[in-house]
Amino acid sequence: MNHPASRVVPRAAAAAATTILLQISGAAFVYAILSAEEGWQVVALLGLLGFGFYLLERLPWINDVVVALLARVPVVTTATAAVIVLGFPFLVGSNTYILHLLIVAQLYAVLALALNFQLGSANIPNFATGASYGIGAYVSALLAVNFNVSFWLTLPVAALAATLFGFVIGIPCMRTRDTYLALVTIAFAVVVHQLLNNFEWTGGPNGLVGIPAPTLFGHSFADPIEVFGWTLPSQANFYYLAAAVVIIAVITARRLHESHIGLAWNALRADEMAAKAQGINVAWYKVLAFAVDAFLAAFAGTIYAFYVSYISPDNFTFLVSVTIMTMVIVGGMDNIFGVIVGAFLLTILPEKLRAFSDYRLLIFGVIVIGFLMIRPEGLFPQRLRHYGVER
Amino acid sequence: MLELADVDTAYGAAPMLRNVTLNVRAGELVCLLGPNGAGKTTTFMTACGVVRAQRGKVRVMGNDVAALGTEKLAALGVGLVPEGRRLFPGLTVIENLRLGYDAVSNRGPKFDLQLDKMSNLFPRIRERLRQTAGTLSGGEQAMVALARALIGEPKLVIMDEPSLGLSPKLIGEYFEITQEIHRRGTTVLLIEQNAEMGLRIADRGYILVKGRVAQEGPARELLSSKTAKSLYL
Repeated sequence: MNHPASRVVPRAAAAAATTILLQISGAAFVYAILSAEEGWQVVALLGLLGFGFYLLERLPWINDVVVALLARVPVVTTATAAVIVLGFPFLVGSNTYILHLLIVAQLYAVLALALNFQLGSANIPNFATGASYGIGAYVSALLAVNFNVSFWLTLPVAALAATLFGFVIGIPCMRTRDTYLALVTIAFAVVVHQLLNNFEWTGGPNGLVGIPAPTLFGHSFADPIEVFGWTLPSQANFYYLAAAVVIIAVITARRLHESHIGLAWNALRADEMAAKAQGINVAWYKVLAFAVDAFLAAFAGTIYAFYVSYISPDNFTFLVSVTIMTMVIVGGMDNIFGVIVGAFLLTILPEKLRAFSDYRLLIFGVIVIGFLMIRPEGLFPQRLRHYGVER
Repeated sequence: MLELADVDTAYGAAPMLRNVTLNVRAGELVCLLGPNGAGKTTTFMTACGVVRAQRGKVRVMGNDVAALGTEKLAALGVGLVPEGRRLFPGLTVIENLRLGYDAVSNRGPKFDLQLDKMSNLFPRIRERLRQTAGTLSGGEQAMVALARALIGEPKLVIMDEPSLGLSPKLIGEYFEITQEIHRRGTTVLLIEQNAEMGLRIADRGYILVKGRVAQEGPARELLSSKTAKSLYL
């Protein structure tokens, strides 16, 4: 085989060094774009990113080589990623704005991963992920505000409540497909938003205020973190919490993708009748996709509610679902890494384009279209699975 | 193994099958023939529960297909090869085969063994395992569709016009493989337009005309029958 990826069979030490360098370069790029203040800096960095994706499109073997390198030394890859994630707040220092952006980006990464089970794996256009996100936020906030329930207890309860909601949406969706299915989910999203707006016990349009900060072993998340003489701002608590949930979401997504469930979702995405012929219970797998989506979205919602300490129905509109959907499409459907990149890019970009004031959203739209023109199948398209003899 | 008894099927107000009775016994290779629009694919759809019979009974291995549902057939040991192959084009050949394997057994370690068997039976697909199914040639797709149905070692295989769009050489190869799997003990219902080739390898045959069974009998008799000749030969 003369494929470039197979030619590069690096020795472990070389692979480890390259892997570390690659990941540090990636982190440095994220830091650079987060710290960029001037319009020209943002444009230059986006140009660099665009050029990188252009190269990936023209020379797809680069992607294979990088994947092969990372897979060659999985322990080094994981350890480097862990060090970067743990160390990022130290690098950011007292810049709470960057930490805030990273928290929101991570929460959106969880939401995008949640939707990816449906849109990416099974081609189910669910516009109600924002609603599940809202249900998670409201259930946990109501429990904490009214009954003084600990954050750690509200987390699973909110996830279960949202999962139940996922099943409820899933049932009418069993018999619908494509556009009709999308309409059903839009209806659910609008209904949830309206109910949150109109119920008295949810605070109506005023929302819920005074959601207490979580505590862990006596440490309040409202307090700064003191570690080895360093003081990290209080936002760092939520940064690490959100990072932990991203890791849980990635592990869940990976395990499901590699399992029969992931393959079954891919099959029904292509052809429901053929999927049935392969013994796949199409209705059940659709409902399952809704439930998993809602479960993870509720985790993100709960953390969001406790992070901002105030939520209102406007945080969970139909537009939130559209944003999450755009992240999945731009990042790369059914590609876990791609979806996370999409979430980060689309969270950070509008903030960084503030330098262009009135033209901000226009430029944002043009950039998204530009990326899709460079990489029509998403920044990182779906990857192939490996089985048995080919391992 | 498969029994259609007095079956009527319709698409809305348009009747498709009328009073169709068809039996496939264990170990047989039965060929269902018919011209375009005769109702062959409808028979396939009805036999595997995708289309519900308005009247009559459809049983697979003694189970009522309407009550069972299409997705339960694979676990019973029924391999389906639908018209047009209906592979999952974005998935690799190996993923397509894995789905076929999981449908029946869902026992991980044996998959490699079964994959080897399929690679030996279909040498054409051996080199294509990592390729997405949508990028294969028509002939290769036909082989993968059959391999997907066979990888779980089904007791019964129902094939709907598998030779459609294949070159004469490939049709020959395909029918040889079909004959081989039948020789190994698999029961086959082959739904075909290619009457001569189909009847040459079949034990028995049915000729469907305008949604009704016009003739049935041993394959050799059908080969020389007037109905078959007037329609095909």
